[in-house]
Amino acid sequence: MNRAILRLSLFCLALFVLLLANINWVQAFKAPSLADKPGNIRVFDQQFQYKRGSIVAAGDGGNTQIAESRLAKGGNGTYQRYYPAGPVYAPVTGYDSVYSKTGIEQAENKELSGTDPRLEVHNLISLITGKPKLGATVSLTISPRAQQAAYQALATDGGHQGAVVAIDPSTGAILALVSYPTFNPNAYATLSGTKLNQVSKREESDPTQPLLNRALDATFPPGSSFKIVTSSAAFSTRKVAGPNTPIPAPNTLPIGNGHVLVNDNNEICGNGNPPIIQAFWLSCNTAFGKLGIKLSGAVLRQYADAFGVNNPNLKIPLPVAASVVPTETDPAFTAFTAIGQFDDQVTPLQEAMFSAAIANGGTLMTPHLVQSVQAPDLSMILSATPTPLSHPVTPTVASDVTQMMEQVTENQAGTAFATANPSIAGVQIAGKTGTAQNGVNNTQLDDAVFTCFAPAANPKIAVGVIVKGGGFGAAAAAPIAVKVIQAYLKVK
Amino acid sequence: MTGYPAAVGAPPVSAEPVPMPRGRRRTELLMLAFAVLVVALAYAFVGLGLNGKVSPGVLEYCLGFAVLMLLAHLAVRRFAPWADPLMLPLAALLNGLGVVMIYRLQESGRNGNPGNMISTLSASAAVTQLVWTALGVVGFILVLAVIRETRVLQRYTYTLGAAGLALLAIPALLPTSMSSIQGAKVWIIVGGFEIQPGEFAKLALAVFFAGYLVAKRDVLALAGRRFLGIDLPRARDLGPVLIAWGASLLILVFETDIGQSALFFGLFVGMIYIATQRTSWLLIGFLLFLGGAYLASTLFSHVGARFTAWLHPFAAANVFCNPATQTHCVPSYQLVQGLYGMSFGGIFGTGLGHGQPFWTPLAQSDFIITAFGEELGLTGLMAMLLLFGLLVQRGMRAAVAVKDPFAKLLAGGLSFVLALQVFVIVGGVTDLIPLTGITTPFLSQGGSSLIASWALIALLMRVSDAARKPAPQPIQDEGMTQVVRAG
Repeated sequence: MNRAILRLSLFCLALFVLLLANINWVQAFKAPSLADKPGNIRVFDQQFQYKRGSIVAAGDGGNTQIAESRLAKGGNGTYQRYYPAGPVYAPVTGYDSVYSKTGIEQAENKELSGTDPRLEVHNLISLITGKPKLGATVSLTISPRAQQAAYQALATDGGHQGAVVAIDPSTGAILALVSYPTFNPNAYATLSGTKLNQVSKREESDPTQPLLNRALDATFPPGSSFKIVTSSAAFSTRKVAGPNTPIPAPNTLPIGNGHVLVNDNNEICGNGNPPIIQAFWLSCNTAFGKLGIKLSGAVLRQYADAFGVNNPNLKIPLPVAASVVPTETDPAFTAFTAIGQFDDQVTPLQEAMFSAAIANGGTLMTPHLVQSVQAPDLSMILSATPTPLSHPVTPTVASDVTQMMEQVTENQAGTAFATANPSIAGVQIAGKTGTAQNGVNNTQLDDAVFTCFAPAANPKIAVGVIVKGGGFGAAAAAPIAVKVIQAYLKVK
Repeated sequence: MTGYPAAVGAPPVSAEPVPMPRGRRRTELLMLAFAVLVVALAYAFVGLGLNGKVSPGVLEYCLGFAVLMLLAHLAVRRFAPWADPLMLPLAALLNGLGVVMIYRLQESGRNGNPGNMISTLSASAAVTQLVWTALGVVGFILVLAVIRETRVLQRYTYTLGAAGLALLAIPALLPTSMSSIQGAKVWIIVGGFEIQPGEFAKLALAVFFAGYLVAKRDVLALAGRRFLGIDLPRARDLGPVLIAWGASLLILVFETDIGQSALFFGLFVGMIYIATQRTSWLLIGFLLFLGGAYLASTLFSHVGARFTAWLHPFAAANVFCNPATQTHCVPSYQLVQGLYGMSFGGIFGTGLGHGQPFWTPLAQSDFIITAFGEELGLTGLMAMLLLFGLLVQRGMRAAVAVKDPFAKLLAGGLSFVLALQVFVIVGGVTDLIPLTGITTPFLSQGGSSLIASWALIALLMRVSDAARKPAPQPIQDEGMTQVVRAG
């Protein structure tokens, strides 16, 4: 019987080895991912016992604290989140409440809370030396100057809903990201569950949707700003040789079923066969509608995709809603797509990306918010390296499109001359207006769109602005972009 | 019987006087003192962790515990002087740590609020557990004192078999109000006392199986047909294993207790394997168990739901499912909280009194292992599992060393069922296997389990005493025999 007993002992040994292996798996390997589960009440309780890392806006070269942890008053050693500028940075930071997190607070939670594996060695040292646990500091690419200017401009714009995104075209660093109306994240930082419930109930039932991050999560028709893509496709496919090549611009463009496409206010586009650059600064719908049909829906879609449209996987590291430009086969729909109407839907971030790609000589850099992450001992555990996302056009095509965009603000007949010309702005801005029709039979006010970059000759900033119901793009959206550019470049 | 270690084989033939094997009782006392010291320190640390000062009554608690263990040691000296010196200290350490953890949970209260008691944990739970420990030690001493030789037990093979089955069956036959706690119908509740008869049935059945198998092992080992290189037993010999299988299935159906049924069936299959050395019995047992488990999981919603909770513990639908309104529902909330606790403790643990094991429902009984994992960390929990492993190994060692086949089977079976029980509950709460609520030997709150575990250790020590006892010295030798010649 002894052989059987020995074998059975080995079997028991195997059982114990299995148990030991499994607790190693749970307590050592899976511990970080278990700590991140939303229902983990222990980690949840602990999160207010130590100092969570700060979020700083470092886009201007300084270190502006936009989220930090402070000892709560009378909370014997518990920390509370504090957002010095409140709603200005809300779409970026998000909030860190007792029950949930949004924005950077959520996307960079591992770093901020100190559970990131890269911080483990540091945590171990703190544990041994008895120092309190600290989270890492997350530095953002956000420029406080641009962000403040964008927020002020939107907030003083008659209460319209809207969003502004600014990008450094050469790196993809996001300089400003504003959504209006927004919320005050300090209200969510309360440690009282009842208060928090009141706050979230109020914000969620607000009809103006303050919790919606319009810069990333809402899409709008790009309107005429999409003509940047249509022109890029035309130049790249050599259907149009250059900015001065004339293209047909009829007063009315029949698109089947007895429908016709007309220009804004039924205006006449030049001599009916103007150079494309003139059609561009005048923003003629018939010219670009006809050009779109000539290019085909598939080609339009191809170039839209190259500019970053139709990408549901973009993370900056906040997830970004996919901008949509469908492949149209019907000529009527293709004409509408070419002028950014009908099914076209883009985020304000995408508006900024259109300009950023042109500004950077045809190479679109991956947009990103996080510049670096520093461990509590100030050692750098992450530093962003700019990477190209795509190459929608060649440098030659980019310079052709730039030339056209400059005329939008510089030519006296350009759609944005009145609001963004160099003597008003103090800097040469290359841009494109858009006025997207909205609602059934255009019953609602138009959405105003402006995408641009500056300085035109040596681009430092690309801006996308959408003002919902703002009316004419040049009038409502362009001045906001100008203010952001002026603040960032310190013009005037 | 082959494969004896040389140490216990035939004594070497030599003229030298045979060296007397030592009982090693002093080693036992020393290690027992160490175990008591560890428990005392753990007890003091709970107070430091919770309130920043050493727990009140540390002296009384630890003195009481030390006296109990000393009594057990003295009983071993008296009744089983040759027994294994490691078993008692191991049991003492585990038992003591269990009491400490129950004290810790009782002190921190519901949701970590000391003024608010956990509904399943009274304010004197630790004292009660210490009283159960005293009863356990009394049982331990009684078993050693009454059963001076394992042969005594062999006489009661069938009596104990019947008693074991009766103990198992009673909860199933009693009305729910007298037998069910939190859905497990495995109790006898009389006048506020709760007895879990299955814990004792386990011991009685182990004795029964040992006696039965010693008598029948020759028949059971007879080979029938050979199939795929394995000698299958004869069909008519399958009877006993089928009966055991049926009985364990019945426990499953009527007492909704998968853990116990797995334990009994495992015990039987393990012992039949030791008795016959036929791998085919293991295979048959394993297949029958898998078949039974599959059948049960499809026929009984509560079994199937346990599988679902095991495979997807973090799915919200499983975490918060409500057995009152949903069928097929075993909430994984408890399991998930236990896993959170263990991961919260990480490698080194939070330290006693610094974690939050009170979030896990029933952390003082089924889930006590996760509480240790949280506060003592991976390192501490591994050490505790090794304590169990050592206990099993010492039992198996006694089984190998003892000569009497009945004692051999008994010790092998008891050691195996101990290992199995630890595996089923620890594997269950760490999501290695589907969770079934059985007690953790020595650690869990509750008297039945503790007393039965102490009795189990007493039986193992009885066997190891028999194994290590030197053979009686011959009174005469040949040289002294006088040859009387007929004149």
